[in-house]
Amino acid sequence: MSEPILEVEDLEVTFGGRTAAVRGASFKVNRGETHCIVGESGCGKSVTALAFMNLLARGGKRTAKRMTLAGKDLLGLSDRQMAEIRGNRMAMIFQEPMTSLNPAYTVGSQMAEVLTRHKGATKADALDRAVALMRKVGITAPELRLGQFPHQLSGGLRQRVMIAMALMCDPEVLIADEPTTALDVTVQAQILRLLAELQRDLGLAIVLITHDLGIVARIADQVSVMYAGKVVERAPVAELFGAPQHPYTSGLLACVPIPGKVQRDKPLGSIPGVVPTIQPGFTGCAFRSRCGFATDACAGDIPRRHATTTHDYLCRLGVNEARERVPA
Amino acid sequence: MTSMTPAIELRNVRKEFRVKSGMFGGEKHVVAVDDVSFSVPAGSVLGIVGESGCGKSTLARLILGLLEPTSGEALVDGKRLFDLDRKARARLIQPVFQDPFASLNPRRSVREIVSLPLVAQGTFASADIDKRVAAMLDRVGLPGSMANRMPAQLSGGQRQRVAIARALALEPRIVICDEPTSALDVSVQAQILNLLADLRRDLGLTYLFISHNLAVVEHVASEVAVMYLGRIVEKAETDLLFRAPRHPYTQALLASVLTPEPGLGVPDVGLGDIMPDPANIPPGCRFNPRCRIAVDRCRTVHPETRTDAAKGMVECHLADA
Repeated sequence: MSEPILEVEDLEVTFGGRTAAVRGASFKVNRGETHCIVGESGCGKSVTALAFMNLLARGGKRTAKRMTLAGKDLLGLSDRQMAEIRGNRMAMIFQEPMTSLNPAYTVGSQMAEVLTRHKGATKADALDRAVALMRKVGITAPELRLGQFPHQLSGGLRQRVMIAMALMCDPEVLIADEPTTALDVTVQAQILRLLAELQRDLGLAIVLITHDLGIVARIADQVSVMYAGKVVERAPVAELFGAPQHPYTSGLLACVPIPGKVQRDKPLGSIPGVVPTIQPGFTGCAFRSRCGFATDACAGDIPRRHATTTHDYLCRLGVNEARERVPA
Repeated sequence: MTSMTPAIELRNVRKEFRVKSGMFGGEKHVVAVDDVSFSVPAGSVLGIVGESGCGKSTLARLILGLLEPTSGEALVDGKRLFDLDRKARARLIQPVFQDPFASLNPRRSVREIVSLPLVAQGTFASADIDKRVAAMLDRVGLPGSMANRMPAQLSGGQRQRVAIARALALEPRIVICDEPTSALDVSVQAQILNLLADLRRDLGLTYLFISHNLAVVEHVASEVAVMYLGRIVEKAETDLLFRAPRHPYTQALLASVLTPEPGLGVPDVGLGDIMPDPANIPPGCRFNPRCRIAVDRCRTVHPETRTDAAKGMVECHLADA
C-alpha cells in the first residue's frame, strides 16, 4: 500500500518572475491512497496540480529537485512525451465540468478520443469501454448519453462523465481539483462516494484538491495543508484533525461551523486578515501577519518540525505548543 | 410600525415563468415558487435552504420587489412592495448577494459605492453623506483608508464588507442575504458571519438568509425553511429542525453535510440519480421520485401542509407516522 507512485520534491512555480505561487513544496503520494491538498484561494493548491500535469498557463515556470511517476522522471520529458502520460497514466478532473467538456462534441466522441489517441483503440472498442465506464460511475442509460452534448446533462451527470473519461486509459494517478465545489451538497456526497469506491476497486491514487475540511476529513488518507505556496503541515488524516500543530491548521478548523454542535450566541473562530501575495525573495513564515503566536523570530528561518514520524509542520512553535497556549 | 407587524409576510405567493421549449416548441410554464406562505417576526432570522433550482433565489427577488408574484401577496413591514416607490423600498429592505466580484461596480470607488443609496434618495446633504459613509465603513470593519480604493484592489472578504456597508447605508430594517458567504474562503466566511451576527444584534435587523450550506444556516438562523421544487416542505425552529428533521428531504440534506470528523466516511444520502426539474414537476408529492420511503399514496396524492405550534410545519404523508 505504501509504495509511492507520485513523488515531488521542492516544487517551485513562479509567474512572470513576479509572483511565487509555489515555494518549495514536496509531496509523496502512495498507490491506492487519497492525498488531499487543502488550503484557501491563492495558497497555490491548483497551481501545484497543474504543475504535476505540466499544464501551467503561459508565463508559469516550474522547477523541482525531483518529480517522478512510479520512479520515472517527469521533469526531463518533452511536451510530446508528457502528452503521452497526461490523460493516460495521470488523468485530471476539474471543478467546472461544463468548461472542461467540449460543448461542440458529443459525450461519446469525447470519451472515445481518449482511448483511440492514447491506446490506438478502434472507435467501436472505445465506445464500448465508454459505456462500461459510464455504467461504473453510476450513469443510467449510458448508450443514450453517448449521443448527447454536455449541455444536455445536469451538473452531477457532467462530473460523472468527466470522471468516466478520466478513467478511460486506466490511470495510475487521478488528480481532482475541487471536483464537487460547483455541485449541490447532495450530489457532492454521491460523487465523493463514487471516487472512494473507484479507488478501492481500481487501486487508484487520488490527489484531491479542496478548500473544504469536511471533504478532507471524510475521504483523505494523507493531508497536505498549503499556505502561501508552502506545505505548512502534513499528516495522516486522523492525526491532522486530532492534533493539528500549525496555528493556521487549527485556525482553519475553528472556522468551520459543525451542525449539531453550533453555539449560536458565540462567534465562530476566524482568522483575521487575508492570504498575502508572495513576491520572490520573501523570507520567514508567510502566516505571521495573521498569526496570534507571531514574534520577531517568525521573520527568520522557520524549521520543519516533526510531531510524529509521519506528521511534520513548518513553524517555530514546539510540538503541541499552539494547542496548549492561548494566542496573544 | 408596531412590534406585532411581521418584518416579512408571504401569503400564498406563486411565481410562474414562461419558458420557450425547443426551437419550434410552444411555451412551457415553470412554477418557480408555488403557494408559499410564511412570516418572519421583526428581529429574527429565517434561513432558507434547498438545492439549486428549488426557487430560493426567486423567493428573494419576490420579497425584494424585483419580481411581481403571479398570485398571492408579499408584504414587507406590512406594506405591498409594489405599492411603494423605489426610494421608499430602498429604505426598508436591502439585498446582499453572493458574488462580491459581480455585485460591485468595478469603475467606482468604495466611497462612491457605499454612498450611492444615500445620494439616490436626494435628501441627504453631502457632508452628512460623508459622515454616514465613514461611520458605516467603520461599522463593517473597513479602515477609512479603504474609501478611495477600487473593488479590484480589495479581497473577496473586503468586497463583501463593502456590499454589506452599502446595504446598511440607509439603515434598512430588513436585509435579504442570498448566499452571502458562498464565494468566500472558510476563514473569511467566518469573519463575515460574525459581522452579520453583530450587526443584527446591534441594529435590530431582520434577515432572510438563503444558503445551500446547512451548517452556516444553523449558525445564523432562528428558524429554517426547507424548499424543494418551489414549495416549502418543512419549516421549524432551528434547533428542532437540526435535531429532529421530519421530512425525508430535510433528513437527506442533513445527512449530506460533511463535517470535519475523520473516520466517518462519505454518507449514502439515498437520493438516487434523478435530479429535480422545475419544468417537470411529478404528480403527488413532488419529492416522491427521490424519496426512499415513498409509498403509493405519495405518487398520486399531494400531501397536506400540517402545522403544529410545537413542531413547526411539514408537508409529507409519512412524517411522524
